[in-house]
Amino acid sequence: MASEASLRVSVDIGGTFTDLVVEREARLRLFKSPTVPDDPVLGILNVLGMAAAADGVPLEAFLGRVGSFAHATTRGLNAVLTGATARTALLTTAGHPDVLLLREGGRRDPFDFTTPFPEPYVPRSLTFEVDERVSATGAVLRPLDLAALERTCGLLIEAEVEAVAVCLLWATVNPAHEQAVGEVLTRRLPGVPHTLSHALNPSLREYRRASSTAIDASLKPLMSAYFDGLTARLRAAGLTGRVLMVTSAGGVADVADAIAMPILTINSGPSMAPVAGRAYAFTDLGADEVIVADAGGTTYDVTLVRKGEIPSTRSAWVGAEGTGHMTGLASIDVKSVGAGGGSIAWVDSGGLLHVGPRSAGSVPGPACYGRGGTAATVTDAALVLGYLDPDSFSNGSMTLDPAAALAAVTRDVGGPLGLDPVGAARAILELTTEQMVRAIEEITLQQGIDPGRAVLVGGGGAAGLNAVAVAARLGSRSLVVPAVGAALAAAGALMSDLTAVYSATVPAVTSAFDTGKVNRALAGLLARCREFVARMPGSGASITLYAEARYPQQIWELEVPLRVRAFEPGDVEEFETDFHAMHRQILGIADEASPVEVVSWDARVRVALPGSGATLTTRLADPRRPSMRRAFVAGHGMTDVPVRPLATIAPGERVPGPVLVESPFTTVVIADTTSTAELGPSGSLIINGGDAA
Amino acid sequence: MTSVEAPAPGRTGERLDGARLAVLSHRFEAIVRRMSNTLARSGRSGVLNTARDFSCCVLTAAGEVLMTGDSPPIHVMGGPDLQARSMLEFYPRPRAGDAFLHNSPYHGNTHAADHSILVPVVDDDGVHRFTVLAKAHQADCGNSVPTTYMASARDVYEEGALIFPVVRVQDAYADCADILRMCEMRIRVPEQWRGDYLAVLGSARIGERALLQLADEVGWNTLSGFARDWLDYGEARMDAAIRALPEGVATTATRHDPFPGVPDGVPIQATVAVRPDAGMIEVDLRDNPDCVPSGLNLSEASSRTAALIGVFNSIDHTVPHNQGSFRRVRVRLRDNCVVGIPRHPFSCSVATTNLANRVGNIVQRAMAEIGTDMGLAEVGSGMSPSEAVVSGVDERTGAPFVNQIFIGPNGGAGGPAADGWLTMSDLGSGGTLLLDSVEIDELKQPIVIHRRHLAPDTEGAGRHRGAPGLEVEYGPLGGTIAAIYANDGSINPMMGAGGGLPGAPSAQLKRERDGTLRPVDICGPVHVEDGERLLARTSGGGGYGPPHTREPEAVARDVREGWITAARAREVYLVALDADGHPDPAGTARLRSAQVSD
Repeated sequence: MASEASLRVSVDIGGTFTDLVVEREARLRLFKSPTVPDDPVLGILNVLGMAAAADGVPLEAFLGRVGSFAHATTRGLNAVLTGATARTALLTTAGHPDVLLLREGGRRDPFDFTTPFPEPYVPRSLTFEVDERVSATGAVLRPLDLAALERTCGLLIEAEVEAVAVCLLWATVNPAHEQAVGEVLTRRLPGVPHTLSHALNPSLREYRRASSTAIDASLKPLMSAYFDGLTARLRAAGLTGRVLMVTSAGGVADVADAIAMPILTINSGPSMAPVAGRAYAFTDLGADEVIVADAGGTTYDVTLVRKGEIPSTRSAWVGAEGTGHMTGLASIDVKSVGAGGGSIAWVDSGGLLHVGPRSAGSVPGPACYGRGGTAATVTDAALVLGYLDPDSFSNGSMTLDPAAALAAVTRDVGGPLGLDPVGAARAILELTTEQMVRAIEEITLQQGIDPGRAVLVGGGGAAGLNAVAVAARLGSRSLVVPAVGAALAAAGALMSDLTAVYSATVPAVTSAFDTGKVNRALAGLLARCREFVARMPGSGASITLYAEARYPQQIWELEVPLRVRAFEPGDVEEFETDFHAMHRQILGIADEASPVEVVSWDARVRVALPGSGATLTTRLADPRRPSMRRAFVAGHGMTDVPVRPLATIAPGERVPGPVLVESPFTTVVIADTTSTAELGPSGSLIINGGDAA
Repeated sequence: MTSVEAPAPGRTGERLDGARLAVLSHRFEAIVRRMSNTLARSGRSGVLNTARDFSCCVLTAAGEVLMTGDSPPIHVMGGPDLQARSMLEFYPRPRAGDAFLHNSPYHGNTHAADHSILVPVVDDDGVHRFTVLAKAHQADCGNSVPTTYMASARDVYEEGALIFPVVRVQDAYADCADILRMCEMRIRVPEQWRGDYLAVLGSARIGERALLQLADEVGWNTLSGFARDWLDYGEARMDAAIRALPEGVATTATRHDPFPGVPDGVPIQATVAVRPDAGMIEVDLRDNPDCVPSGLNLSEASSRTAALIGVFNSIDHTVPHNQGSFRRVRVRLRDNCVVGIPRHPFSCSVATTNLANRVGNIVQRAMAEIGTDMGLAEVGSGMSPSEAVVSGVDERTGAPFVNQIFIGPNGGAGGPAADGWLTMSDLGSGGTLLLDSVEIDELKQPIVIHRRHLAPDTEGAGRHRGAPGLEVEYGPLGGTIAAIYANDGSINPMMGAGGGLPGAPSAQLKRERDGTLRPVDICGPVHVEDGERLLARTSGGGGYGPPHTREPEAVARDVREGWITAARAREVYLVALDADGHPDPAGTARLRSAQVSD
């Protein structure tokens, strides 16, 4: 049968919608269904049902054709944010019980005395000290007190803990004590999962390692249950293909690996957008420097592609930076700001306009939703300016109330600033654009990318409102709005590979390089990668080695790819040259007389999934016809503007601005007369040459 | 006598509405952030890249502080304006391509270890439009001993730092290399200084370039209008904040611990007057001792800034910190005063920490006396052995090492809204500094950090309690180390406010090989041999409001989490706990009614 395993699907569960992208013969289709917060798997089955109905087949038959099912979930993230994780204990080296409490110090607003000091991830009352000590060189300064550990196990049982995290100082250099603790825990607390820091995250800096260990342990009971339940229900519904989980590092992992290390999936939400953004920017424009902006209802997530690679960070936070909890593991670098369609506009006592940080979210939502929200939001401003179709919002699933939007914008912003409603709405969008630009500038500055030379890819349901203005403000080459932009993350999951990351803390300095020691560490990493490849059916495995390196006295490392699998004479100089070049690119200067320190060595292994390398194109079916609408255009005021459904734009046609391009889930606003839009090879909308609105 | 009032801003430029003002304020914030990011990431010394002890700001041509970024507050409130105006005094017509090095505490800088670079932003017609300033604490500044906080300096000559009272270091964008050669002959680890100098200069030049680009885009007329309207906005917000406060006057006093050159310590006081009708707050520091033969004297910049921090810590924190809001605070200082305007050649080597923290603390405590639910208790202070410069020879490599460790901050103050911030460090830093990782410190130098944890029962008790101090114990791993620091608060602890109690005093001790504990000097140097350990307990922050008004549930939580003992809950907070550690309402009521009837 032609139907056999001919489909690949991917599901992204967001706060409002569960997105499904279906790929068949390199063509993508997009489906959205409301998220079911109490039973997310039901939401998945619902949206799969929509796709099956569109094909005119029962769900079981549809699922029977699915070769792989990739899934991004915010379930682990939400559990951490709401404290709904397992009752978890932390075991630390004696004398250092406050590693999670102290974090790494710092305070964001030095004049704010209303914010309390943040709580540790594991309370002090569930933190237990282990009598032992290892030095920086791995020497045992104090042997492990096994008798005391047995007594501690008694306390853990008494405290009815559901998971245990173990993070001892210098376990990355000498793991013997952590391993011994693990053996005792397995024997004394059978059925209670634990995580050992050296096995999960063998990296320097005890706070980060302890935090990742504690988060991972605390997720184990919950995520095992979720993944098991998901897999079982999909199988019962007819799925025979493979189940894959999206990871924070921008790859996918087999569900069994995700169960063993549930923290791998914690930032999976935004990690796929740059994978898709990279594919579209390359397919449509051949670009390898890309800014990917994913605009949802409440947040604006910015990710990057630098020379075709997606930069990662080990400083990712769950919750607010500095007061949340650091995941400590390599994760796609994302800058998120609270700027979205629901962001509330207001004027302060000194007469200054603000947008956010409060958001009306989807409930009660913008004033124009008519769901009880009355505050003026970005969506209301867009409606006042004629950018949204009140009769057909979000693929016709909602109608909007223009009078309510006008009243809110006039009352909250126009009146206090002495502006007419259109002027007030423009001001709201302009300030929102500025906030989005700020987020982009922050992450591009950190990663050494010139926004003016990069292509901007706009995704997410709210992308189209500001994307042209953001691109103009940045001076970007071009703007690409993929046809599946409203489900960029789900599309990305179909373009990603099976990945894993391994690391070894073996410090080295180029002025006194211990080649034997380093090469042994690299050989160990390569062996672990090959073991991963052997377990993973797939093709075209690739392994990349990196050094986490810096100049002496610096404290933050740069990730430098290695050109070799083992160092030979001469290779060290070449590595130094690569480091200087990377330092100059990211930080503007290089110190070529200085040696380079390596803090740790990383290996990233990637096994390509069938079909993930293909160019995925999309043509959306849309029954709507071209029309006109009153909308605001810079220099012309409210005027008649052509409205073009994306499906009516023919390949090769150049559509001049001003124009509103509508696809089922988003509207792209081109509110100037200098920009033009056309279709790219993948079916994306490409916009060139606008002025700042 | 002086005040923070600046000359009136120019009345020129386009008038902006609240929307345009918001957009342009974002652009200026972005410029300062870009300057800061450059400095942090390219800096080589730990004090820059780890502790982030630096600041960047944009000033108007007249020298008003227009936009500041994330930085330790002691850097950027009441000093950059003095520095920018001293630049105009010596160089009335600055030119494009100029850059000036400024570290003189007698001309508006904080202290000699903070090297500032000022760059005038000049348009194509040669008109001076703005000034950008980047300031960074140096790892060394040429002092006579290897520390940048020299408490024992009797005067600037003994201190020994090179002083640059607005010295041109770039002309037409080219280095004045003779100045740099002088620095390299005098500053320790010159290549590190050179790297940090480049980072500071680069930061100022990036700010200059970004302002020129912004002017290309929107025009100088709009930027002038923005500067005027943004300062007026800051002033309007401050006016509204002060008008909401109760009227009153309070005088508060404290005493710095005895130090080299001041065997009885330094008693100081502040009189704070809140005048809601006028929308003004006045801080009078004139009734204080003359300058002292010690590095403790405050510079004019740190005197004013410490007073401003005390005020701004006590009001709505969303009021912008610029010259507009500063216009509503009058700080009265006296010439030749230890917390006023220093008279050359008295030394200001430790002007950003010790007495500056004391001044800010008594100002915010005075605010708490003027009205209920305002002000703040005293923030933990002192640079204890947990923030020492440690040095010695690393037996693993045979190489000498010297480095400041930052492993145990002081506790924050209780306030009207919240308990104290645990990793506050001190008032001048505002808690912005980062804390060292134990593993990083043990990798960098041959030490073992045996313990680091909060010290129970050291918090200033209160309705909102201060944060406790930390207890830190470390020693060499083979060999000997020397530790130099400059503690305060081990004799005169941090006071509470509004009926709150003081935090526990700090302590510095040595644990001998046989385990006995022996007190050590308040400043060091202390030599610690193999097998010995240095023990530091940092200052607890003061509490806010009477302890017996603290929510019993919060007290029970503190006991359960090990922040305080059950005995302290009962004796100080008057909370009775049941066998499960939950508050016993009847028992608590009995304890508390007995207190009230006392």
